Amino acid sequence: MNFIKRFFSGMKQEDEISEPVKVEAPVPESAVSEPIEPEPTGNADAGAERFSDAPPAPRTVLHAPAVKQGLFPESSDGILIKAQPSSTGDQCMFTVNRVLMKDCSWYFDSFESAAESSLAESLFSIDDVETVLVCEATVTVTRKDKTLVDWTSLAKEIGTAIRNAVEEGQSLIADKIISTIPSEDVIREGIQKVIDEEVNPGVAGHGGQINLLAVKGNSVTIQMGGGCQGCSAADLTLKQGIHTSFRKAVPEVGAIFDETDHTAGLNPFFS
Amino acid sequence: MPRVLTFKVNIETGKQGPNEPVNFSFNGHTMPFEKVIGSNEPDAIFEGSFDVNSFAHSLTLVGPEKGKWEIEKIRVDYECEGEKPYVVNWGAVTLDETTEVNLWQDPPVPAFDV
Repeated sequence: MNFIKRFFSGMKQEDEISEPVKVEAPVPESAVSEPIEPEPTGNADAGAERFSDAPPAPRTVLHAPAVKQGLFPESSDGILIKAQPSSTGDQCMFTVNRVLMKDCSWYFDSFESAAESSLAESLFSIDDVETVLVCEATVTVTRKDKTLVDWTSLAKEIGTAIRNAVEEGQSLIADKIISTIPSEDVIREGIQKVIDEEVNPGVAGHGGQINLLAVKGNSVTIQMGGGCQGCSAADLTLKQGIHTSFRKAVPEVGAIFDETDHTAGLNPFFS
Repeated sequence: MPRVLTFKVNIETGKQGPNEPVNFSFNGHTMPFEKVIGSNEPDAIFEGSFDVNSFAHSLTLVGPEKGKWEIEKIRVDYECEGEKPYVVNWGAVTLDETTEVNLWQDPPVPAFDV
């Protein structure tokens, strides 16, 4: 209410500033549509000041670097794991207080793909686990049962599996996977090609556009622009369209980050 | 998009500060802070708050009308309806008469130990 009061009181002040124009005599209708030249006054500056109520020029919005707070106490030696379900409940990210896969990431889409990777193998042994993405100190899991959004019990099972795999000290990710990860240039070239030839022609019909911002290791960062930015279907487009195209064209791609500010753009929505 | 009940800023100015009233913009409406302590002159700390009680589409700190404002750190304490109070810290940024800086961040996704 305070804000609303301020807003309306601000409007009232503006009304008070702009004085009503006094009309001395009736003016013919035809004369009203003619542009009225301001009468010359002795003080030109005073006149300019009076009519300087134009809205201020729009400013550029900057984004200062966010200072992240540590999730875990620094002094702890034990394996600590935090679970963060997504707001839509379709996936859950587990952050561990140690690195699981250094400088790269890997996406496991089935139990078969997890062969010789002890971490992924132990996760796929849990019934409801559908896919696993390992990136640095995080593991992101999607579940088979899409009707459930409460991760509490499954997250505890997954947390135990991650802890056990880390404690066993075996190779968390198979060596054959690490050795097949191509260079950043190869990843960049492949992803750019699929964006240019497949993804952008597809989203162009909706006025959208996808840009590749960065490649780090085999993880890529994209930005959605045009009609995609802020579109209510952006999340679906990203996960079911873009992810699928990227992984099909470049199977070695790991994490796919979206750095779009969806609260701005042509079709903003606010979730 | 939660309803913001109130927010409080703590801004550390670096070597350049305009020493002029500090404004913020909430959903495009520019307003001065309330309960102001300190200033934005060089090496000073500015504190201010505002009881918004409205839904947040955008929240920015407006740059000075004249000169540059070198900000070292920004801390924002938010109280939103139905959410636990939370804090966001940002690093250095320099504002001028053509810029503003984002102060809005959604409440953190709840996390739990497993």
